[in-house]
Amino acid sequence: MRGPDIQWYVILSAILFSVGALGVMLRRSPLIILLSVEIMLNSANLLLIAFSRLHGREDGQIFAISVMAVAASEVVVGLGMIVALGRRNIDLDVDKLRTLRG
Amino acid sequence: MSWLSTILIFLPVAGAIVVAALPLPRYWVGSLASLISLVEVGVWITSATKFDFGSSALQFDQRQSWVSDLNISYHVGQYAFSVWLVGLTTVVMAACVIYGWWVGRERPRAYFALMLMTTGAVVGVFTAQDLLLFYAFFEAMLIPLYILIGVWGGADRLRATLTFVIYTVVGSLLMLASIVAYGLQQGTFDLTKIGPSSSTWIFLGFVAAFVIKSPLFPFHGWLPITYRESPPEISAVLSGIVSKAGLYGLLRIAIPKFPEVVADWRVALLVLASISLVYGSLLAWRAPDFRGVVLYSSLAQSGLIVIGLLANNDLGFDGAVLQMVNHALMSSSLFLLAGMVERRTSTGEFALLGGMARGRPALATVMMTVGIISLAVPLSTSFAGEFLILAGVFQQQWAWAVVGATGIVLAAMYMLRAISAVLHQDVGSAVPDSALDLRGGELAVVVPLVLCLIGLSAYPNLISGHAFGANKAIVQVSSDTTKLSDATCTKSANGGACQTVMSYAIGPALNIDEPAAWTRYAP
Amino acid sequence: MNAAAWTCLLLPLASTVLITLGGTRISRRLAGYISTATTMGAFVAAVVAFVQLLGKDADDRIHLTTSWTWLSAGPYHFGFTLLTDQLSVVMMLVVAGVGSLIVAYSVGYMDGDDEERRYFAYMSLFVFSMLLLVQGGNLLLLLAGWGMVGLSSYLLIGYHQDRPSAVAAAKKAFVMNAFGDATMALALFLLIAHTGKLGYADVFALSPHGGTVANLIALGLLGGAVAKSAQLPLHTWLPDAMEGPTPVSALIHAATMVTAGVYLIVRCHPLFENAYVIEDLAAGLGAATLLMAGLIALVQTDIKRVIAYSTMSQIGYMFVGAGLGAYPNGMFHLMTHAFFKALLFMAAGLAIHAVVGEQDIRKLAGIGKLMPFTKIVFLIGSLALVGVFPFAGFFSKDSILAAALAHGWYGDVIFAAGIVGTFLTGVYAFRLFFIVFTGEPSAFAREHFHAHHGKEGPLSMRWTVGVLAALSVIGGFLQFAPFWHPLSTWLEPVAAPIAEPSNAQEWLASGVALAVGLSGVWLAWAIYSANRIKAPAPVKLFERKFYWDELYDLAWYRSSDLVTRGLSTIVERPLIAGSMSAVSGAFGLGSRELSVAQNGLVRTYALALASGLAVLTVVFLAAR
Repeated sequence: MRGPDIQWYVILSAILFSVGALGVMLRRSPLIILLSVEIMLNSANLLLIAFSRLHGREDGQIFAISVMAVAASEVVVGLGMIVALGRRNIDLDVDKLRTLRG
Repeated sequence: MSWLSTILIFLPVAGAIVVAALPLPRYWVGSLASLISLVEVGVWITSATKFDFGSSALQFDQRQSWVSDLNISYHVGQYAFSVWLVGLTTVVMAACVIYGWWVGRERPRAYFALMLMTTGAVVGVFTAQDLLLFYAFFEAMLIPLYILIGVWGGADRLRATLTFVIYTVVGSLLMLASIVAYGLQQGTFDLTKIGPSSSTWIFLGFVAAFVIKSPLFPFHGWLPITYRESPPEISAVLSGIVSKAGLYGLLRIAIPKFPEVVADWRVALLVLASISLVYGSLLAWRAPDFRGVVLYSSLAQSGLIVIGLLANNDLGFDGAVLQMVNHALMSSSLFLLAGMVERRTSTGEFALLGGMARGRPALATVMMTVGIISLAVPLSTSFAGEFLILAGVFQQQWAWAVVGATGIVLAAMYMLRAISAVLHQDVGSAVPDSALDLRGGELAVVVPLVLCLIGLSAYPNLISGHAFGANKAIVQVSSDTTKLSDATCTKSANGGACQTVMSYAIGPALNIDEPAAWTRYAP
Repeated sequence: MNAAAWTCLLLPLASTVLITLGGTRISRRLAGYISTATTMGAFVAAVVAFVQLLGKDADDRIHLTTSWTWLSAGPYHFGFTLLTDQLSVVMMLVVAGVGSLIVAYSVGYMDGDDEERRYFAYMSLFVFSMLLLVQGGNLLLLLAGWGMVGLSSYLLIGYHQDRPSAVAAAKKAFVMNAFGDATMALALFLLIAHTGKLGYADVFALSPHGGTVANLIALGLLGGAVAKSAQLPLHTWLPDAMEGPTPVSALIHAATMVTAGVYLIVRCHPLFENAYVIEDLAAGLGAATLLMAGLIALVQTDIKRVIAYSTMSQIGYMFVGAGLGAYPNGMFHLMTHAFFKALLFMAAGLAIHAVVGEQDIRKLAGIGKLMPFTKIVFLIGSLALVGVFPFAGFFSKDSILAAALAHGWYGDVIFAAGIVGTFLTGVYAFRLFFIVFTGEPSAFAREHFHAHHGKEGPLSMRWTVGVLAALSVIGGFLQFAPFWHPLSTWLEPVAAPIAEPSNAQEWLASGVALAVGLSGVWLAWAIYSANRIKAPAPVKLFERKFYWDELYDLAWYRSSDLVTRGLSTIVERPLIAGSMSAVSGAFGLGSRELSVAQNGLVRTYALALASGLAVLTVVFLAAR
């Protein structure tokens, strides 16, 4: 395989995943959380493609395309909700959006 | 392979479907339902005449495998005592259905369908020989009752239904856990093949369900409100039939399948049963209304029957079966009479009743007769049952019989007070002069029950001598006399008294000819 | 034999069923006739049985007939067995004979009452129950008859349903008898545990001789006997039982039911002889009762209550006789007592019936002048009661006292009590006679007396009273101990006495008793008739019946009431309310605690997801 060794891809993917996870857990704006979820998804995609390249098979790449499709759909829904919240002048603060509490 | 048991179970169920579906007016719905109930009684009588009371084997049995990996099957059949329990179910339910027809209930199609479903389910409980089938019928019995109480009950019926539901379901779930554990442990769910177990937790799971249903102190919290708020014929069904399901469970499952555990827990259960007897009798004595007297006396009688079941000898078991039948007939008659009084006076409170015997000879005679039989006057069938039970438990330990004997005096006290408060002395403020004597329809419901009681009083041996078949194993022997029967008697480790064995119920794991093998199970 | 025994037993039952089912379709008078006819039929059947027994040899006179197995459980079988032997046939004759006279009397006494049919149904039920008791061939049937006579007594005492006092008295009688039933049941359980049987012969052969078990068995049976026969300490129901109509008092509470206890002791004498302590106890209780009842009778002002206490006292004598082992003497006194006590009640009934149901002796005073026939028969009854020669009581009572003399020092104490009792009998019996039947009629009596078509009472009342008077005169001659004793000989095979007084003791007892009795009569005459001695003020203790009623009320009724109220408040209500609120509370608590995790914050959910995932990863890796 040409380019960096596999471990660099794994490390990068791990860093990206942690950044994304921390962003989900620690940020308050739903937009940023959505962004962080995207980062996590992309880190998974990166890993999938890297290993697909390593093994020389295309399964990982095909799976990565499915993941992208799912990510796109979920972003549409999420951004739609955020725009709806914005239109109603509701605070975009996840700590304040607690209506679904038990 | 005999279809008789299945017919007895599903005839009323089929009838229920027909009754619910046909768009008949109220009168015809009721008469159809009554006809079906009476046909059921007829089928039972036929089965009883065909039954061989001399043998202790399972008869009229039918088995259809269901889940063969776990040995779950549709297995129904009857022993001698099952015949009598099925009989009391069909007779009491017929009386209650006819009463419901005579009184005229709203939404008759639903009402009669539910009543008939209950009949089928209870007969299923008494004939099921597979644990999961037993559980299924046990639950199926309750669903129509919830609805019957919740829709046709008195003013506080919703609270009554809720109380009843919660109490029963708690017990049933514990029993389900026990059933699953027991069945998996033994590898089969078939009651005629399942071996004994020595697990205390499984035993307690079963006992929990049965002592809530019977009921026994202190699990009787559902009793007062449920019996007071149900319609009278449903109270009759509850106290006469449903409570016997709990007692039957003790007889068929809890006691024979767990001999060691029962031996350890016998004293504790006898204490509970004795407390139920005395506590129920005392509270009945001071109950302010007629239904209160009957419901607390039901508590007392359940205690007495459990005492008989735990006596561990022929006297106790035969007495318990006899008393189950007696109590069903007596308490259902009393609840129906309470209903008849309430229809005339819109109350059951003693403070507002009195003097109803004047000008109403039929009511006075019937109520007096039932009341006197209920207090177990010697020569009555209830006395026969009580005598056998107490004689049996006397041989276990004399103290229980002494406590039981106080029950004799207390029963006299509460029953006479109840009868006098309704029938004698000054006419109560709630008794209108226009209140009629018992009419033909009411007599047709309650007189057959009374005649059954009187007939049994002349010949209680019909049940007590035909409850367990001929080759039942022994009888409790007191430690210093020779054994009184020629069956095997095994001595316990410390050389004391013998232990009763119910060979039919234990299953083929037992071989009485090998006392050494059996002593594994005798504590 | 079988036919006669079954006819005797079932005729009265048939009468009850017929009258109950007939309802208003049969007239009231007809109900009375049905009842009388069947009871007389039972008497005829009893005579037939007696004659048949006479025809057999002395040791061939015990006949058992079992018709079906009444109850069975495993190896125990209890049949519906009837026993016809010397003892039972004597009781059958007494019960059916005196019973038929009293039922016939009732036809006149209860005439015109609205609920007459119910009365006669109950009377027939009682006769059936009593016959079952004496004909029962095993102890279980004896107990069955025992309970049924208690039931009939309840029904008849509470006959006047609208009177709270009558209803209360009926309940009291039944509950006290139920206590006796319970102790008897316990004795039967002991017998089953130790012998496995309840038939008389088996039980007598197999029961233990002496020891705690034998004592307990006898004590249990004695408890039942004491309750049924209204002896100390279970006697308080009998005076209250006078709420029932007078013929009921005559039949049940004088002639038959209350004597069932004596019959029991005589029938089960082998069991009692195995426990001589209990036999002595029975005699002692009898002696104490006869004294106490005699004292209370001195101050009673209700005519029926005086006779009731007299009954209690006389049964005390019978208990003394049975307890000392003089069984034929006890039975003989039972028979003569039935005659003269029923006579006394029925004569009193004639007076009560004629004076609008009044029972107070002060209001009835002097009625004898207006009712000479009643006066004579009452005098006969009283003389028989006191035991004056040649009336019936003389022969029977004195033979019991003689047996007491033959029993050692304990017997001497009882003899003394018996003599004092005889004195008291004289006083109270003739106090009653002199107040009610001699002297000038009181204003009340004169005003309210009404003759029945010119006679003192209906014919049915007068002829039956006459027959009993005749029996009270000649009945005693059946057995005169030193000279002829056919009754003792007849009963010997089943109830051999263990006390055999010598002739000297017999004469001594008779002489002393007669003298003492007559002196009591003289004292009564001096106080109440000739007014030579001033009547002493009534003793409070006697008037309050020795405070037994108050004691029982406190010890049993109030304490049970307190316990029940306590249970109801402290246990029942919290149990019911608490159990439901506990269940709902527990679920609510669980729900509240768990819902903390659903705080609506996304990041909490994310954290939960992440940590869950981490845990699972570790677990799966570790489980590898």
